[in-house]
Amino acid sequence: MAASLLSLVDLEVRRGMSVVLSDFNLEVSSKDVVVLHGKNGAGKSTVIESCARLLPLEKGSVSHHGSLVVDSEGRRSLAKQPFGLTLQSNGLLGDETVENHLSTVCSLSGMKTNLLPILDAYGLAHRRYDRIGQLSGGQARKVAVLAGLLPAMLSSEPRLVLLDEPDAGLDEDALAALISDIGQLREAGHAFVIASHHPGIMKCATRLHDLESETVQQQPKSQPWQALGIQEKVSLLSTKTGHRYLRSTRAGMARNGLTALLVLGTLLAFIDPASLEKTLLVGFVLASPFAAGLAGDPVVHLMREQRAADWWRAHVNRLPAADFLAPVLGFVLTALGCVLFLDAMNWKLSLVGAGVLWMTLLCVRFIELSTLRLARPNAVFIRLLLPILILPWALIVEYSATL
Amino acid sequence: MRRRIPEMFLGIGFVGIMTTLFLGLNWAPSVSINAFESPAAQRIFYWHVPSAWAAFIAFGVLFTGSALWFFKRSPFGWRLHVAGTEAGLACGLMTVWSGCVWGAAEWGTPWDWSDVRLNTFGLLTLLALFLVLGRQSQPDGVETRDTFSTFGLYGFVLVPLTYIATRVWQIRHPGPVIGAGDGGGSLQSSMALVLLIGAISFTFFIIGHMMISMRITHLEQRLEHVQKSLDGGN
Repeated sequence: MAASLLSLVDLEVRRGMSVVLSDFNLEVSSKDVVVLHGKNGAGKSTVIESCARLLPLEKGSVSHHGSLVVDSEGRRSLAKQPFGLTLQSNGLLGDETVENHLSTVCSLSGMKTNLLPILDAYGLAHRRYDRIGQLSGGQARKVAVLAGLLPAMLSSEPRLVLLDEPDAGLDEDALAALISDIGQLREAGHAFVIASHHPGIMKCATRLHDLESETVQQQPKSQPWQALGIQEKVSLLSTKTGHRYLRSTRAGMARNGLTALLVLGTLLAFIDPASLEKTLLVGFVLASPFAAGLAGDPVVHLMREQRAADWWRAHVNRLPAADFLAPVLGFVLTALGCVLFLDAMNWKLSLVGAGVLWMTLLCVRFIELSTLRLARPNAVFIRLLLPILILPWALIVEYSATL
Repeated sequence: MRRRIPEMFLGIGFVGIMTTLFLGLNWAPSVSINAFESPAAQRIFYWHVPSAWAAFIAFGVLFTGSALWFFKRSPFGWRLHVAGTEAGLACGLMTVWSGCVWGAAEWGTPWDWSDVRLNTFGLLTLLALFLVLGRQSQPDGVETRDTFSTFGLYGFVLVPLTYIATRVWQIRHPGPVIGAGDGGGSLQSSMALVLLIGAISFTFFIIGHMMISMRITHLEQRLEHVQKSLDGGN
């Protein structure tokens, strides 16, 4: 008997206040291609997102390769084996290049490969170094689908692939390539759960599931896929990715840096530093790193695009973060403030400023991430809670004035 | 008759609050002109303290409702959560506003960012505002309820912190006048009587407010259920 790659047991999931799935069971083994084809609103995407541990479960559990990844008791753990995921939204960042995004997907699997032949098969080779934001909707969808297939394409071990409406927006050639790849990857032992109504995709299923009953289909033998990946040791992926996002978008400077410089400029415009006592001056110096921190984590802001944060949340416990931005920017801004308000560089105060920005950014990131699973996270008034940071900042200012 | 209980609570509370205001402004004795910068402004205390008391009741209800929803998935718990946030916001704003008026008259500044009591209570009010506005911005669902209940549960930590703030770090906000723990108590009996009437009135008012709020939430849920049925959903 083939090994179980995915097991859903007695699943009950709500979307809004409606129970979308109830007592749902599914067992997916190596060489299975399960195509979910229920009507709109039947819960196809809910199944895919539950498998990717993106939704809270009311009842039941989800296991990958026999290990629990999420259950209704709130237990969550990372899948021990990498898996492929393509959400209905692409989960891509417009400022990433095609090459960078797919390389990151390879790194999540602990592998590397030459991406050129894969991109060529999907008509994307000439777009390799382009930003995803410059691609057409269909081309971006191809990148998202490839990101879902890559963990299986790289590995000789059976991998699970979850694809939500992968055919949406694909041209005929890309669709043919996708159907062919699914067949070859299945033959190599990988398993698929796909939500789709496309006749071509449904035709390559070994099991057709309408979320109530299942039909088994025989598939002809085909050439198995030859694994393309080479093992690669990967460390600090979240940090590296976070910094790469910032390098390509300059969002750290645009959001946090400019906010701080505006605060400095405004204070200088109305105040004569020579007429103020030291505590007040130190307050002005530390106001700019504090304001930069209150502007929020630029990487979290970027990842709100096309559910990129959800795509990452499915794969890692820690979302990409630009860990070194805060201390470096905080130090520079405070040093600048020292020169402007105190007429001299102050190393100790600059280090305090680095800490202020770092801590503020961490707190803002924490409260922003805590509302990320809401249906409309951008609409929630989470920043109303930020005044909690003013008291500790005021205490730090008082302490710093004694340095 | 039972259906009118919330209105009765509101009515009794309203009359009591008006009585408290009348007595506080006209009957209660004035404080020493040596002890206060602005003795007349101190009369706002008969509004400020009872509204803070009612706010703490509302935050307690918010915590209970959040816990009931989060751990038991109780729809009643969610209604308590909603009622607690709305009542907490109303009473919190009354307390903060009256405190700022008094602070401006007595201290020369309406707010002090370095005072722990002011900041923790202000933050509780902002938490209630966040919960009310945030809930209105989201479609109703388990994700929304889980997230806001979590904030309700963690936010409650501020209640005991606010309570002990003036005992541990008295910076600008006055220390407790009731239950100070030193057996003293600087209140004259007539002052204490007006304060007691105020506290009872605000308690009645806030209970009535929360009962009506729960009824409205229940009706909203029924309406949504009917709309879903018309849409053909489950």
